[in-house]
Amino acid sequence: MTSPATDASSALLEQFVIEARNAAATAEIVDRTPQALSAAILAKAGDAQRILFAPPQVMSPELFAPFASEPRVVTNPDSEQLVHSAVSVTEAFAGVARTGSVCVDVNHQRTGIVSLLAPLNITVVAAENIVPQVRDLFRRDVLNGEGLTRDFVFITGPSATADMGPLVRGVHGPHRQHVIVVR
Amino acid sequence: MASTVNPADIQPRQVANKSDKHAFLEAIRMTLNIQSAAIRHNTQTFNRNRYVAVAKLTDYDELKDCARRIKEQAIADSPQLLKQLEESVRRNGGHFYLAPTARDANQYIRDVLVKHEAKLVVKGKSITSEETRLNHELEAAGIKVAETDLAEFILQLADEQPSHIIAPALHYSRERITALFKKKFQTSLPLDTGEELTRFAREKLREQFIAADAGISGANLIAADSGSLMLVESEGNIRMTMNLPPLHIAIAGIEKVVPSREDFGTFLELLPASATGQPITSYVSILHPPLKAPPFAAPGKAEKAREFHLVLIDNGRSKMREDPVLREALYCIRCSACLNSCANFETVGGHAFGGETYSGGIGGSWEAGTGKLMNARFAELCTACSRCVNQCPVRIDIPWLNENLRHRMNQSQSPSLTKSAFGAATGSAPQDRSAPLQKQFFGNYHTFGKWGTHTAGMANGSLDWPIARSAMESMLGVDHRRELPKFPEKSWVDLYREEPRPQRRPEASAQAGSLPSVSVLADVFTNFGSPERGMAAIRVLRKCGYDVELTPSLPDGRAALSQGMIDTARQQAEGMLQMLRPYVEAGRKLVVVEPSVLAMFRFDLRHFADPAFFEILRSISFEPLQLVSQATQQSGLDLRSTFPAESWSHGTKLFYHSHCQQRTCNAATETIDVLRACGFDVVTSSVECCGMAGSFGYKADYYDLSMAVGEDLFAEIRDSEAKGGSRALVASGVSCHEQLWSGFRRPVHHPVEILDSIAR
Repeated sequence: MTSPATDASSALLEQFVIEARNAAATAEIVDRTPQALSAAILAKAGDAQRILFAPPQVMSPELFAPFASEPRVVTNPDSEQLVHSAVSVTEAFAGVARTGSVCVDVNHQRTGIVSLLAPLNITVVAAENIVPQVRDLFRRDVLNGEGLTRDFVFITGPSATADMGPLVRGVHGPHRQHVIVVR
Repeated sequence: MASTVNPADIQPRQVANKSDKHAFLEAIRMTLNIQSAAIRHNTQTFNRNRYVAVAKLTDYDELKDCARRIKEQAIADSPQLLKQLEESVRRNGGHFYLAPTARDANQYIRDVLVKHEAKLVVKGKSITSEETRLNHELEAAGIKVAETDLAEFILQLADEQPSHIIAPALHYSRERITALFKKKFQTSLPLDTGEELTRFAREKLREQFIAADAGISGANLIAADSGSLMLVESEGNIRMTMNLPPLHIAIAGIEKVVPSREDFGTFLELLPASATGQPITSYVSILHPPLKAPPFAAPGKAEKAREFHLVLIDNGRSKMREDPVLREALYCIRCSACLNSCANFETVGGHAFGGETYSGGIGGSWEAGTGKLMNARFAELCTACSRCVNQCPVRIDIPWLNENLRHRMNQSQSPSLTKSAFGAATGSAPQDRSAPLQKQFFGNYHTFGKWGTHTAGMANGSLDWPIARSAMESMLGVDHRRELPKFPEKSWVDLYREEPRPQRRPEASAQAGSLPSVSVLADVFTNFGSPERGMAAIRVLRKCGYDVELTPSLPDGRAALSQGMIDTARQQAEGMLQMLRPYVEAGRKLVVVEPSVLAMFRFDLRHFADPAFFEILRSISFEPLQLVSQATQQSGLDLRSTFPAESWSHGTKLFYHSHCQQRTCNAATETIDVLRACGFDVVTSSVECCGMAGSFGYKADYYDLSMAVGEDLFAEIRDSEAKGGSRALVASGVSCHEQLWSGFRRPVHHPVEILDSIAR
């Protein structure tokens, strides 16, 4: 059964995934089950020895439970681990369809640092939190005005530079950016 | 202007301060020889991408209006907003300091760092800290500063000033970066690709991020209501700078403050699109520090509490706010669209078209506002081609700012008897008579046109004398390599007056009465420079069915304005407007053949005309081919049969270069449509400007630059002809004709001349 509202939201979702890929991120949509999410994250993380995980604030911890119980997942990393981990997993409280961006709260525990230091960052966003435009994050009537109060970063693809001549992806921030939309 | 110094030996720092004219000219030589290829490639990539990105913003014009409104209000309310911001920052638990001068800002930051016993500071890109020369102050205090933006990293290694306001090392090719790194780091590592260079720099800088005691960032915007910062970047170094060390200092100019975080949305939609042509950059941080999340502590180091200082600098900005011209520059959001859409900037970059910190069209106002007026000498490189005007997301009339800077620089020159006498004889307003002879010569073009036309035989002959050209070069700076236009025996107005009366009627073939009556302005450039072209325009319009009359020829102010002779321009414009009033009140449309004069009616006259009259003029003024195009719709004119391309004696294949100001006025597409509808195969140019830009290319100081800019257009023509055979050269602007003639020594045609010759 489809309603106009769900048609609109699936169009938004489709646009989000296309734009995230245009920004050189990888993106996928997975079912909102702990098993599906865990499988998707672990598949992307490959054989990384350690995965940093910043526990969620918006989504339910149960959704991440099977993943978080993996022995190579570290939720409270020390400095050494922060610096020497190949993968980080964070949640986003919003996504932007027109740009393929995810919005990650950097003031929740160590999410800001976790999402920044590892070469691969995987960010998980809930489908219903994807808004059409960047400007929507600065409105009181969208997402309960959360964009006006949180400290956050719009992440759109991996870090990049053109300062060394040609475009190079992978500078100080993550070299690869993966986005998982749970629906 | 010959110099014996090898351009490769000129260090950018030595020529950063443009108050020295010699340094300015050396900088042009150095950039043309060493940097031009990399600058062209990078700026033109930004420029192309911007056009694509803003076309995707469905409400681009509304966003620009909104951004403009926010900035106007924010600058008007600046004192109150600063008070509110201070309260917000303190409420958040941060420290606030409003620095009256650059030195105050530097000392405050140094003191904070010393108090924290900071030994190593990581710094994100901040042009404001370049303005204050913060690094020097900190290094003198024994604090190591690591610039972490890769472009700033390059500049720090090379000890050079920024050449661009968002990509400060864009004058470096990959090859030159490799050479720099090899020399500075004495490494044998392979550094022959962007990836290898990036990895090398990243590894060096990662160590610094981990060990840093403090981070210094800039800010793209600051919200007074919440103390929020917006920081736009792609590399991740700014996030590191703000998220990792316990101490974060942000430095920014007071003009960055807007009322509310709610305002960020408008600017964030506009800024990346206008800057690099991306919908958004990799990272945009929105924070109201200090963060509550714990900072990073290097392995083995104790964790410290976070501390945040916001340092806002005035350094001349309050004075700029009181200045009706420089105030406009405070609206700038530093997107660089005016740099990337500027043909001169694309060719030499900010080491020539820029000062110690700021560069490009907007840069002159910033160098003058935060330093000395004469530091803005490089604003001479703004030719007022106007290509930046529609690209500015906050609608700053950048050519007007530069014309005013030139006006002030002219007035700061010491007067002389020669200049005064020359100005009085040629038509300069008394206030403009201290301007250099060269400026008064070009600014009073109409006077020389009048003299030359009435004594054409003698004037033209004397222009061919080597001694006369050598005198023109030494006294007026007119380059001997340019061919000067010949004066006609009779002006356009003379030719029109001599027409037999019965010809002055629209052609019977067109439906009488369905088209408006038009007045063609006898602009001074066409009147004295190409009267036959003017007559062709009149005949073509009649052929289309218009009732046409020619106005008298009065100077419109364009020539004077472009030399910064604003009082003269105003005087001239007022005279012309008075002359035009009866024509306008009679309900006639106005046709302007020379696009730079059309641009007066579409925008520049707003500075001199009564606002209501200006709005009328703007809506009734047209380029001739626009009216030809309108006739096809309004009276069913059939172009294919009226002006069949096959009847033109130079073939049906054209290369058309529209004039820069014509494009800014949205008055170019009709020409292309009309020529195609007549049956021509038309290839068009994509360059922003031909490089001639009125008088600019005649000036000996700028001849090489002008020709280097022209080379992009010449290359497009050569490419097109290599692929599809020879094409007739067509252009709408008088100076574009001169430039194409310099490049090809082939006849250059005007669209009205083509149509006229077909119809006759």
